[in-house]
Amino acid sequence: MGRERRDGRQMSKNRLRENVAAYIFLSPILLFFAVFFAFAVGFSVWISFKQWNMLISPIDAPSIGFDNYSSLFSDPLFTASLFNTIVYAFTTTVAILVLSLLIAAALNNIKNAAIWRFIYFAPSITPAVAVGMIWGYLYNPSRGIVNEVLGWLGVPAHNWLTDPRYALMAIIITAVWAGMGASILIFTAGLKAIPQSYYDAAKIDGASRIKMFWAITLPLLKPTILFLLITGMIGAWQVFDLIYMMGANAPASSVQVISLYIYNTAFVNLQMGRASAAAMILFVIVLIITLFILRIFRQGGIESYE
Amino acid sequence: MRRMFWVLFLVSVLLSFAMAKTVLIIQTHWSDFQVNGIFNKAGKLIYPGLKQYTEEYMKLHPNVEIKIREVAFNNYLQQLLVSHMARKGADIYDLYSLWAVQLVNAHILDVPPIDIVNDVKKDFVPASVGGATIRGKIWGIPSEIDDYALMYNKKLLSEAGYTNPPKTWDELVAMAPKLTKYDSKGAISQYGFAFLSGWDSAVVHPYLSLLYSLGGSMFNKNYTKCLLNSQKGVKALNEELALFKEKATNSAGNVFNFPQNTVAMMIMAPWYVSSLKRAYGDKYSEYVGIAPIPPIEKLATVSYTWFFAVDSASKHKKAAWDFLRWFALQVQPKTNTTRAGDLEVNVISVIPPNRVDLRNHQKQLADLKVFIDQLKNAIPEPNVMQGAQIKTILMNQIVAAWNNQKSAQRALDDAVAKINPILDRYYH
Repeated sequence: MGRERRDGRQMSKNRLRENVAAYIFLSPILLFFAVFFAFAVGFSVWISFKQWNMLISPIDAPSIGFDNYSSLFSDPLFTASLFNTIVYAFTTTVAILVLSLLIAAALNNIKNAAIWRFIYFAPSITPAVAVGMIWGYLYNPSRGIVNEVLGWLGVPAHNWLTDPRYALMAIIITAVWAGMGASILIFTAGLKAIPQSYYDAAKIDGASRIKMFWAITLPLLKPTILFLLITGMIGAWQVFDLIYMMGANAPASSVQVISLYIYNTAFVNLQMGRASAAAMILFVIVLIITLFILRIFRQGGIESYE
Repeated sequence: MRRMFWVLFLVSVLLSFAMAKTVLIIQTHWSDFQVNGIFNKAGKLIYPGLKQYTEEYMKLHPNVEIKIREVAFNNYLQQLLVSHMARKGADIYDLYSLWAVQLVNAHILDVPPIDIVNDVKKDFVPASVGGATIRGKIWGIPSEIDDYALMYNKKLLSEAGYTNPPKTWDELVAMAPKLTKYDSKGAISQYGFAFLSGWDSAVVHPYLSLLYSLGGSMFNKNYTKCLLNSQKGVKALNEELALFKEKATNSAGNVFNFPQNTVAMMIMAPWYVSSLKRAYGDKYSEYVGIAPIPPIEKLATVSYTWFFAVDSASKHKKAAWDFLRWFALQVQPKTNTTRAGDLEVNVISVIPPNRVDLRNHQKQLADLKVFIDQLKNAIPEPNVMQGAQIKTILMNQIVAAWNNQKSAQRALDDAVAKINPILDRYYH
């Protein structure tokens, strides 16, 4: 009995030592998380209830309750930015998912697939500023190749990046082109993980290629689709660079997105409190969408990515 | 022995404090050759940039070290605010006067010494002094003054049968469609007129020039009311929209395509002249003409100012003002110009606001003659609180009108509806 007690105490000491060692090793990342996430988010929440312009100490800034939040929804530019972000996020995410899946499936069994994958992946590793500049030239009304090609098809020239009817869609097309590559690579990895025996069995049963795609490929790719859907949606909701680069000459209400609204509110209007409130609203929206997507997929049997 | 060691150690520490250099940081939106100077092909310095002037000053004052912090115009205010908050602000700023209003309100700028204030009043053109004046006080030494004029492509005008630029706005609106060409796809390949766009001043300043030409005003005297949706404000915007209606321009027009001879006329500031001179080389005078903005009723243009100021949190305020005195006020006996004036004229290609530089750089300023002449008709843009926000609001409404999303009246009514609450907060 005495020996068991001694052994038990020894095990608790060892466990304690292991825990302490684990926290010591984790401390750098915990410190990083505490400073750059927990403190930053907490500070932002605190500031969202104040009227602060960065010219005085935040402690001296007057508290105004929920005024920053309520004033946002009465600002037509905020609601326009929200609408533009919804359109941008959903369109780019769905378009990238669908196109990259189809392309990955097409590239799965062809010769020289590596070259094609490089061609599709190259835009993903090109800096957004370069992408924005190049597509700015492509969309040039008089000398751009887009209008040139459309002209061959009898479509009149348009001012793609300044016309409020087309500017956002033009930027979405650029974003889809730039964002497909990474998704194609991830889908390729997912496709390679599907056992060939499933397809062989389906072939024996007389299933067509389309049937095999719907019945085998898609269901087994659900975890990959879920991952890309969530990460794509989160990224799309936070888009800034392409809109900043390509949307400068279009009416603000037709292209401005939430992140650009936050930036302008903070650094042009010097309304840090209001900008923080808008950032909190963005955070809540992205969180709700992510939880919604997780719930839908969990009902479909996906237990990973919990 | 030990005592000797400690005495020597203490003396060396005290000496190192005494000999420590005063380090000044100058923050500027100038960059590249504007800071580093202009060199010929053989690598010989032709015109000194800001860096060479600071090196000259450091030779004269060995206990002073000057560092230059280059910050792009788009990020300048943000960088200033963030670095000030982090207590890593510069000592000397070259400030756009509109930004300075809030900096003064927040006590971020140091009050200049009285001798500097008196010299500025005495030696600088009134429009630039007005730009550096906030709430009745002068806050720095003007570093540049800009106004707007009509720039036109002489060759494109003569090809269309015009030997002279338009003398009135109505003439411009009549000429512009005849100078506009379309390609086979229906896109404009040559703009009769192109508007500057992409940032707030680009869109707002030409509009203000037209508003001032009508005798209008953006605000009332004490900034308690925005007057943009007055009859004159709406008329000024409608005069711009006339060019869109006549299909002489659209919102895709890009003034920076001027060197490609695809823009016949535009309203621009003098800082673009140096780019055009580099683009056209020897053919500059053949192609580029500059004339006053054709008036709707009377000759007018808007001006804006940059000025040198010192951060109130600077640990070396006296040294900072001493440098600025030497750089921007002291007249060099050989040339009878100031060093800042030399830099502004020879390198930055802007109008120097000091009268002595205007008098003694006449040859170099020949290409900016119209801009300088128009200073007498220049009305400074108002130094109003939240100026950048107000200009962005106005820019968004003007661009919406350009794109036929709103009428001029509706656009300016919407602008006033957003601007008046801002004025209420700060001026009531």
